[in-house]
Amino acid sequence: MVNVLIDGLKERISNAIKINQSIGIILPASNYPDLVQALFERINSTPEEAWVYVTVTKPCDNILSQFEFLKDSKNIKFVDCISRAAGINKANDNCIFVESPTMLEKIGLEIINIFKEVDENVKKYLVIDSLTNLIIYNDPDIVTEFFYHIINRTRTKNIHTISLAIEEEELDKYLTRLIYLNDKILKVRDSFI
Amino acid sequence: MPITELSKNELCDTGIEELDVMLGGGIPTGSTVLVVGSSGSGKTTLCMQYLINGAKKGERGVFFTITEPLFKLTKNMEGFEFYDKKLIESGMVNLIDLRIISERLGLDTEKYTVEDASALLDILRDIADELNVKRLVIDSITALCYRLQTPEMIRDFIFKLGSSLAAMKCTTLLTSEVPPRKFQYSQYGIEEFISDGIMFLGDIERKGDLIRTFQLVKMRGAAHSRTKSAMSISTKNGVELAPLLKSRE
Repeated sequence: MVNVLIDGLKERISNAIKINQSIGIILPASNYPDLVQALFERINSTPEEAWVYVTVTKPCDNILSQFEFLKDSKNIKFVDCISRAAGINKANDNCIFVESPTMLEKIGLEIINIFKEVDENVKKYLVIDSLTNLIIYNDPDIVTEFFYHIINRTRTKNIHTISLAIEEEELDKYLTRLIYLNDKILKVRDSFI
Repeated sequence: MPITELSKNELCDTGIEELDVMLGGGIPTGSTVLVVGSSGSGKTTLCMQYLINGAKKGERGVFFTITEPLFKLTKNMEGFEFYDKKLIESGMVNLIDLRIISERLGLDTEKYTVEDASALLDILRDIADELNVKRLVIDSITALCYRLQTPEMIRDFIFKLGSSLAAMKCTTLLTSEVPPRKFQYSQYGIEEFISDGIMFLGDIERKGDLIRTFQLVKMRGAAHSRTKSAMSISTKNGVELAPLLKSRE
Protein backbone atom coordinates (compact mmCIF):
# COMPACT_ATOMS: atom_id res chain seq x y z
CA MET A 1 0.00 0.00 0.00
CA VAL A 2 2.75 2.43 1.01
CA ASN A 3 4.67 1.80 -2.20
CA VAL A 4 1.57 2.56 -4.23
CA LEU A 5 1.19 5.83 -2.34
CA ILE A 6 4.80 6.78 -2.85
CA ASP A 7 4.84 5.80 -6.50
CA GLY A 8 1.67 7.82 -7.02
CA LEU A 9 3.21 10.87 -5.36
CA LYS A 10 6.41 10.52 -7.37
CA GLU A 11 4.46 10.43 -10.59
CA ARG A 12 2.36 13.46 -9.70
CA ILE A 13 5.41 15.51 -8.70
CA SER A 14 7.36 14.46 -11.80
CA ASN A 15 4.50 15.31 -14.12
CA ALA A 16 3.81 18.67 -12.48
CA ILE A 17 7.42 19.83 -12.36
CA LYS A 18 7.93 18.89 -16.01
CA ILE A 19 5.51 21.55 -17.20
CA ASN A 20 5.60 24.11 -14.36
CA GLN A 21 8.40 26.32 -13.10
CA SER A 22 7.18 26.16 -9.51
CA ILE A 23 4.83 23.86 -7.69
CA GLY A 24 3.36 24.10 -4.21
CA ILE A 25 2.34 20.92 -2.43
CA ILE A 26 -0.28 21.15 0.30
CA LEU A 27 -0.49 18.03 2.38
CA PRO A 28 -1.78 16.78 5.69
CA ALA A 29 0.87 16.01 8.30
CA SER A 30 0.04 12.31 8.06
CA ASN A 31 1.23 12.25 4.42
CA TYR A 32 4.46 14.13 5.07
CA PRO A 33 6.71 11.04 5.52
CA ASP A 34 5.43 9.50 2.27
CA LEU A 35 5.89 12.72 0.35
CA VAL A 36 9.50 13.27 1.42
CA GLN A 37 10.27 9.64 0.65
CA ALA A 38 8.77 10.12 -2.82
CA LEU A 39 10.83 13.27 -3.31
CA PHE A 40 14.09 11.69 -2.20
CA GLU A 41 13.51 8.60 -4.36
CA ARG A 42 12.83 10.90 -7.31
CA ILE A 43 16.04 12.83 -6.60
CA ASN A 44 18.07 9.65 -6.26
CA SER A 45 16.76 8.26 -9.53
CA THR A 46 17.85 11.31 -11.55
CA PRO A 47 21.59 11.80 -10.93
CA GLU A 48 21.84 14.08 -13.96
CA GLU A 49 19.76 16.77 -12.18
CA ALA A 50 20.91 19.19 -9.45
CA TRP A 51 18.79 19.57 -6.33
CA VAL A 52 18.96 21.91 -3.36
CA TYR A 53 16.87 20.83 -0.40
CA VAL A 54 16.15 23.51 2.21
CA THR A 55 15.14 21.84 5.43
CA VAL A 56 13.39 23.71 8.19
CA THR A 57 11.68 20.56 9.39
CA LYS A 58 14.32 17.94 10.19
CA PRO A 59 18.07 18.23 10.69
CA CYS A 60 20.02 17.09 7.65
CA ASP A 61 21.69 14.39 9.74
CA ASN A 62 18.32 12.85 10.59
CA ILE A 63 17.29 12.88 6.94
CA LEU A 64 20.52 11.15 5.88
CA SER A 65 20.14 8.54 8.62
CA GLN A 66 16.60 7.80 7.47
CA PHE A 67 17.36 7.81 3.74
CA GLU A 68 20.78 6.19 3.63
CA PHE A 69 20.81 6.05 -0.17
CA LEU A 70 21.19 9.87 -0.15
CA LYS A 71 24.59 9.66 1.55
CA ASP A 72 26.27 8.78 -1.75
CA SER A 73 24.13 11.09 -3.89
CA LYS A 74 26.14 13.74 -5.68
CA ASN A 75 23.13 15.60 -7.04
CA ILE A 76 21.67 16.92 -3.79
CA LYS A 77 22.89 19.63 -1.43
CA PHE A 78 21.11 20.51 1.77
CA VAL A 79 20.62 23.91 3.35
CA ASP A 80 19.90 23.00 6.95
CA CYS A 81 18.20 25.85 8.82
CA ILE A 82 17.33 23.90 11.92
CA SER A 83 20.36 22.01 13.28
CA ARG A 84 22.36 24.97 14.54
CA ALA A 85 19.31 26.55 16.15
CA ALA A 86 18.64 23.21 17.86
CA GLY A 87 22.21 22.99 19.13
CA ILE A 88 23.23 20.16 16.78
CA ASN A 89 26.80 20.79 15.65
CA LYS A 90 27.56 17.87 13.35
CA ALA A 91 29.40 18.81 10.16
CA ASN A 92 28.50 17.43 6.77
CA ASP A 93 30.15 18.10 3.42
CA ASN A 94 26.85 17.84 1.61
CA CYS A 95 25.15 20.37 3.78
CA ILE A 96 25.36 24.10 4.45
CA PHE A 97 24.18 25.12 7.87
CA VAL A 98 22.33 28.38 8.45
CA GLU A 99 22.40 29.52 12.07
CA SER A 100 18.67 30.10 12.37
CA PRO A 101 15.49 29.85 10.25
CA THR A 102 15.05 33.60 10.89
CA MET A 103 18.08 34.33 8.70
CA LEU A 104 16.03 34.26 5.53
CA GLU A 105 18.39 36.39 3.46
CA LYS A 106 21.23 34.02 4.31
CA ILE A 107 19.09 31.06 3.24
CA GLY A 108 18.46 32.80 -0.08
CA LEU A 109 22.17 33.52 -0.56
CA GLU A 110 23.17 29.93 0.13
CA ILE A 111 20.60 28.60 -2.35
CA ILE A 112 21.88 30.86 -5.12
CA ASN A 113 25.53 30.17 -4.27
CA ILE A 114 25.03 26.40 -4.57
CA PHE A 115 23.30 26.75 -7.94
CA LYS A 116 26.07 29.09 -9.17
CA GLU A 117 28.44 26.11 -9.08
CA VAL A 118 26.15 23.94 -11.20
CA ASP A 119 26.69 23.70 -14.95
CA GLU A 120 24.30 25.91 -16.91
CA ASN A 121 22.89 22.97 -18.88
CA VAL A 122 21.96 20.87 -15.86
CA LYS A 123 18.30 20.91 -14.77
CA LYS A 124 18.02 22.57 -11.38
CA TYR A 125 15.45 22.05 -8.66
CA LEU A 126 14.87 23.64 -5.28
CA VAL A 127 12.78 22.12 -2.49
CA ILE A 128 11.58 24.21 0.46
CA ASP A 129 10.57 21.96 3.33
CA SER A 130 8.50 23.68 4.52
CA LEU A 131 6.73 27.01 4.29
CA THR A 132 4.72 25.98 7.34
CA ASN A 133 7.82 25.75 9.49
CA LEU A 134 9.26 28.99 8.12
CA ILE A 135 6.07 30.69 9.32
CA ILE A 136 6.45 29.15 12.76
CA TYR A 137 9.90 30.75 13.16
CA ASN A 138 9.15 34.04 11.37
CA ASP A 139 6.49 36.65 10.93
CA PRO A 140 4.20 35.44 8.07
CA ASP A 141 4.63 38.73 6.14
CA ILE A 142 8.38 38.36 6.01
CA VAL A 143 8.08 34.74 4.86
CA THR A 144 5.79 35.95 2.05
CA GLU A 145 8.40 38.56 1.04
CA PHE A 146 11.14 35.92 1.19
CA PHE A 147 9.12 33.52 -0.92
CA TYR A 148 8.40 36.25 -3.52
CA HIS A 149 12.14 36.87 -3.77
CA ILE A 150 12.93 33.17 -4.09
CA ILE A 151 10.24 32.48 -6.67
CA ASN A 152 11.28 35.47 -8.79
CA ARG A 153 15.01 34.84 -8.48
CA THR A 154 14.74 31.12 -9.28
CA ARG A 155 12.48 31.87 -12.26
CA THR A 156 15.10 34.14 -13.81
CA LYS A 157 17.69 31.41 -13.35
CA ASN A 158 15.46 28.65 -14.69
CA ILE A 159 15.40 26.78 -11.39
CA HIS A 160 12.28 24.75 -10.67
CA THR A 161 10.87 25.16 -7.18
CA ILE A 162 8.89 22.72 -5.08
CA SER A 163 7.56 24.16 -1.83
CA LEU A 164 5.81 22.10 0.80
CA ALA A 165 3.03 23.35 3.04
CA ILE A 166 1.73 21.12 5.77
CA GLU A 167 -1.91 21.83 6.54
CA GLU A 168 -2.24 23.56 9.84
CA GLU A 169 -5.53 25.17 10.77
CA GLU A 170 -4.06 28.20 12.52
CA LEU A 171 -1.70 28.99 9.66
CA ASP A 172 -4.04 28.30 6.77
CA LYS A 173 -4.70 31.93 5.81
CA TYR A 174 -0.98 32.65 5.55
CA LEU A 175 -0.17 29.42 3.75
CA THR A 176 -2.91 29.97 1.20
CA ARG A 177 -1.48 33.39 0.34
CA LEU A 178 2.00 31.93 0.02
CA ILE A 179 1.37 28.70 -1.79
CA TYR A 180 -0.64 30.40 -4.54
CA LEU A 181 2.46 32.24 -5.69
CA ASN A 182 3.38 28.95 -7.36
CA ASP A 183 2.42 28.09 -10.94
CA LYS A 184 0.74 24.86 -9.89
CA ILE A 185 -0.72 23.57 -6.63
CA LEU A 186 -0.88 19.89 -5.75
CA LYS A 187 -3.16 18.94 -2.93
CA VAL A 188 -2.24 15.60 -1.46
CA ARG A 189 -5.07 13.43 -0.21
CA ASP A 190 -4.99 9.66 0.16
CA SER A 191 -8.06 9.47 -2.03
CA PHE A 192 -6.33 11.32 -4.88
CA ILE A 193 -3.48 8.86 -5.20
CA MET B 1 32.77 65.75 -7.74
CA PRO B 2 29.62 65.89 -9.89
CA ILE B 3 27.54 62.76 -10.33
CA THR B 4 28.41 61.53 -13.78
CA GLU B 5 28.83 58.09 -15.17
CA LEU B 6 32.41 57.16 -14.45
CA SER B 7 34.37 54.96 -16.79
CA LYS B 8 35.67 51.62 -15.58
CA ASN B 9 39.21 52.92 -15.06
CA GLU B 10 37.88 55.74 -12.86
CA LEU B 11 36.31 53.17 -10.55
CA CYS B 12 37.91 50.90 -7.99
CA ASP B 13 35.79 47.77 -7.82
CA THR B 14 35.66 46.08 -4.43
CA GLY B 15 35.30 42.61 -5.94
CA ILE B 16 32.22 42.09 -3.76
CA GLU B 17 29.70 41.62 -6.54
CA GLU B 18 26.56 43.03 -4.94
CA LEU B 19 28.47 45.98 -3.45
CA ASP B 20 29.91 46.91 -6.82
CA VAL B 21 26.41 46.83 -8.29
CA MET B 22 25.25 49.21 -5.51
CA LEU B 23 28.19 51.48 -6.27
CA GLY B 24 27.49 51.53 -10.00
CA GLY B 25 30.69 49.63 -10.71
CA GLY B 26 32.99 50.55 -7.85
CA ILE B 27 34.29 53.30 -5.59
CA PRO B 28 35.39 56.41 -7.51
CA THR B 29 39.18 56.06 -7.68
CA GLY B 30 41.07 58.13 -5.12
CA SER B 31 38.17 58.35 -2.67
CA THR B 32 38.51 58.05 1.08
CA VAL B 33 35.72 55.90 2.45
CA LEU B 34 34.71 55.38 6.05
CA VAL B 35 33.70 51.80 6.88
CA VAL B 36 31.60 52.21 10.01
CA GLY B 37 30.49 49.53 12.44
CA SER B 38 30.58 48.26 15.97
CA SER B 39 32.86 45.52 17.20
CA GLY B 40 32.35 42.29 15.22
CA SER B 41 30.38 43.94 12.44
CA GLY B 42 32.79 42.78 9.71
CA LYS B 43 34.77 45.97 9.00
CA THR B 44 38.19 44.28 8.96
CA THR B 45 36.96 41.35 6.85
CA LEU B 46 35.37 43.66 4.27
CA CYS B 47 38.53 45.78 4.06
CA MET B 48 40.82 42.77 3.72
CA GLN B 49 38.59 41.27 1.03
CA TYR B 50 38.76 44.61 -0.82
CA LEU B 51 42.58 44.54 -0.72
CA ILE B 52 42.91 40.87 -1.66
CA ASN B 53 40.44 41.22 -4.55
CA GLY B 54 42.44 44.20 -5.81
CA ALA B 55 45.72 42.31 -5.53
CA LYS B 56 44.25 39.40 -7.48
CA LYS B 57 43.80 41.76 -10.43
CA GLY B 58 47.23 43.30 -10.04
CA GLU B 59 46.53 46.31 -7.79
CA ARG B 60 48.96 46.52 -4.91
CA GLY B 61 47.53 47.30 -1.49
CA VAL B 62 48.56 48.10 2.06
CA PHE B 63 46.74 47.40 5.31
CA PHE B 64 47.77 49.50 8.31
CA THR B 65 46.57 48.01 11.57
CA ILE B 66 46.55 49.81 14.87
CA THR B 67 43.93 47.74 16.68
CA GLU B 68 45.37 44.22 16.61
CA PRO B 69 48.81 42.66 16.18
CA LEU B 70 49.65 41.30 12.75
CA PHE B 71 49.82 37.66 13.88
CA LYS B 72 46.25 37.89 15.17
CA LEU B 73 45.05 39.61 12.04
CA THR B 74 46.56 36.99 9.73
CA LYS B 75 45.35 34.12 11.93
CA ASN B 76 41.78 35.44 11.73
CA MET B 77 41.98 35.93 7.99
CA GLU B 78 43.51 32.53 7.17
CA GLY B 79 40.11 30.89 7.67
CA PHE B 80 38.63 32.76 4.72
CA GLU B 81 38.85 31.18 1.28
CA PHE B 82 39.43 34.59 -0.36
CA TYR B 83 42.60 35.09 1.72
CA ASP B 84 45.67 34.16 -0.26
CA LYS B 85 48.88 34.02 1.76
CA LYS B 86 50.95 34.19 -1.41
CA LEU B 87 49.67 37.71 -2.07
CA ILE B 88 51.07 38.77 1.31
CA GLU B 89 54.37 36.99 0.74
CA SER B 90 54.76 38.47 -2.73
CA GLY B 91 54.13 41.99 -1.43
CA MET B 92 50.95 42.52 -3.41
CA VAL B 93 49.22 43.06 -0.07
CA ASN B 94 51.38 44.62 2.62
CA LEU B 95 50.42 44.33 6.27
CA ILE B 96 51.94 46.97 8.52
CA ASP B 97 51.54 47.48 12.26
CA LEU B 98 51.25 51.24 12.79
CA ARG B 99 52.21 50.95 16.44
CA ILE B 100 55.58 49.51 15.47
CA ILE B 101 56.07 52.35 12.96
CA SER B 102 55.20 54.88 15.68
CA GLU B 103 57.72 53.29 18.02
CA ARG B 104 60.42 53.30 15.35
CA LEU B 105 59.71 56.96 14.66
CA GLY B 106 60.13 57.60 18.37
CA LEU B 107 56.55 58.86 18.69
CA ASP B 108 54.58 58.72 21.91
CA THR B 109 52.32 55.75 21.15
CA GLU B 110 49.47 57.11 23.27
CA LYS B 111 49.28 60.82 22.32
CA TYR B 112 50.54 62.51 19.17
CA THR B 113 51.70 66.09 19.04
CA VAL B 114 51.18 68.13 15.87
CA GLU B 115 54.75 67.23 14.86
CA ASP B 116 54.15 63.54 15.56
CA ALA B 117 50.99 63.58 13.44
CA SER B 118 52.86 65.28 10.64
CA ALA B 119 55.70 62.73 10.80
CA LEU B 120 53.21 59.87 10.75
CA LEU B 121 51.37 61.39 7.81
CA ASP B 122 54.64 61.69 5.91
CA ILE B 123 55.54 58.08 6.56
CA LEU B 124 52.09 56.85 5.46
CA ARG B 125 52.38 58.84 2.25
CA ASP B 126 55.93 57.64 1.65
CA ILE B 127 54.97 54.00 2.12
CA ALA B 128 51.98 54.35 -0.22
CA ASP B 129 54.16 56.11 -2.78
CA GLU B 130 57.13 53.73 -2.58
CA LEU B 131 55.00 50.63 -2.79
CA ASN B 132 52.89 52.25 -5.52
CA VAL B 133 49.70 51.07 -3.83
CA LYS B 134 46.29 51.62 -5.38
CA ARG B 135 44.35 50.44 -2.35
CA LEU B 136 44.99 51.40 1.26
CA VAL B 137 43.26 50.53 4.52
CA ILE B 138 43.69 52.00 8.01
CA ASP B 139 42.14 49.82 10.71
CA SER B 140 41.06 51.83 12.57
CA ILE B 141 40.93 55.58 12.06
CA THR B 142 39.18 55.74 15.46
CA ALA B 143 42.25 54.36 17.24
CA LEU B 144 44.42 56.81 15.31
CA CYS B 145 42.13 59.75 16.08
CA TYR B 146 42.24 58.80 19.75
CA ARG B 147 45.95 59.66 19.65
CA LEU B 148 45.34 63.00 17.96
CA GLN B 149 44.52 65.49 20.65
CA THR B 150 42.09 67.98 19.11
CA PRO B 151 39.28 67.93 16.54
CA GLU B 152 41.38 70.27 14.39
CA MET B 153 44.24 67.74 14.34
CA ILE B 154 41.86 64.97 13.37
CA ARG B 155 40.33 67.06 10.58
CA ASP B 156 43.73 68.13 9.34
CA PHE B 157 45.17 64.61 9.44
CA ILE B 158 42.34 62.94 7.54
CA PHE B 159 42.08 65.78 5.02
CA LYS B 160 45.80 65.76 4.22
CA LEU B 161 45.96 61.96 4.11
CA GLY B 162 42.93 61.77 1.80
CA SER B 163 44.23 64.52 -0.49
CA SER B 164 47.67 63.05 -0.95
CA LEU B 165 46.38 59.53 -1.51
CA ALA B 166 43.82 60.81 -4.01
CA ALA B 167 46.66 62.45 -5.92
CA MET B 168 48.29 59.02 -6.13
CA LYS B 169 44.97 57.58 -7.36
CA CYS B 170 44.92 55.40 -4.27
CA THR B 171 41.48 54.45 -2.93
CA THR B 172 41.38 54.35 0.86
CA LEU B 173 39.13 52.62 3.37
CA LEU B 174 39.23 53.86 6.97
CA THR B 175 37.44 51.74 9.54
CA SER B 176 35.45 53.65 12.14
CA GLU B 177 34.42 52.06 15.41
CA VAL B 178 31.04 53.05 16.84
CA PRO B 179 29.00 51.68 19.75
CA PRO B 180 26.47 48.96 18.84
CA ARG B 181 22.94 49.91 17.80
CA LYS B 182 23.77 53.60 17.43
CA PHE B 183 23.29 55.31 14.11
CA GLN B 184 26.46 57.36 14.25
CA TYR B 185 29.32 57.29 11.83
CA SER B 186 32.30 58.07 13.98
CA GLN B 187 33.53 58.50 17.52
CA TYR B 188 34.62 62.12 17.06
CA GLY B 189 31.94 63.39 14.68
CA ILE B 190 34.52 64.72 12.22
CA GLU B 191 35.66 61.73 10.20
CA GLU B 192 32.45 61.46 8.14
CA PHE B 193 32.65 65.06 6.90
CA ILE B 194 36.16 64.65 5.55
CA SER B 195 35.43 61.30 3.91
CA ASP B 196 34.06 60.90 0.40
CA GLY B 197 32.00 57.87 1.26
CA ILE B 198 30.39 56.07 4.16
CA MET B 199 29.59 52.35 4.39
CA PHE B 200 27.56 51.52 7.47
CA LEU B 201 27.69 48.00 8.89
CA GLY B 202 24.94 47.41 11.42
CA ASP B 203 22.45 44.81 12.50
CA ILE B 204 18.77 44.37 13.12
CA GLU B 205 17.09 42.03 15.55
CA ARG B 206 14.69 39.47 14.18
CA LYS B 207 13.01 37.15 16.68
CA GLY B 208 16.01 37.53 18.96
CA ASP B 209 18.58 36.80 16.26
CA LEU B 210 20.90 39.50 14.92
CA ILE B 211 20.86 39.95 11.15
CA ARG B 212 23.90 41.79 9.80
CA THR B 213 23.07 44.80 7.64
CA PHE B 214 24.97 46.99 5.20
CA GLN B 215 24.09 50.45 3.94
CA LEU B 216 25.91 52.72 1.54
CA VAL B 217 25.15 56.08 3.13
CA LYS B 218 27.30 58.35 1.00
CA MET B 219 29.61 58.13 -1.99
CA ARG B 220 30.64 61.42 -3.55
CA GLY B 221 30.63 61.37 -7.31
CA ALA B 222 28.57 58.22 -7.65
CA ALA B 223 24.83 57.72 -8.13
CA HIS B 224 24.70 54.84 -5.67
CA SER B 225 21.97 52.81 -4.05
CA ARG B 226 21.08 53.71 -0.45
CA THR B 227 19.05 50.57 0.15
CA LYS B 228 19.77 48.64 3.31
CA SER B 229 21.03 45.13 2.55
CA ALA B 230 21.47 42.01 4.59
CA MET B 231 25.12 41.11 4.98
CA SER B 232 26.56 37.65 5.36
CA ILE B 233 30.10 36.69 6.32
CA SER B 234 31.19 33.15 5.57
CA THR B 235 34.56 31.46 5.36
CA LYS B 236 33.71 30.33 1.82
CA ASN B 237 32.61 33.64 0.31
CA GLY B 238 33.67 36.31 2.79
CA VAL B 239 31.32 39.29 2.75
CA GLU B 240 28.17 38.94 0.63
CA LEU B 241 25.13 41.17 0.38
CA ALA B 242 21.50 40.33 -0.32
CA PRO B 243 18.33 42.44 -0.40
CA LEU B 244 17.07 42.91 3.15
CA LEU B 245 13.54 41.67 3.71
CA LYS B 246 11.65 44.64 4.97
CA SER B 247 8.28 43.36 6.15
CA ARG B 248 7.19 44.60 9.56
CA GLU B 249 8.52 42.37 12.32
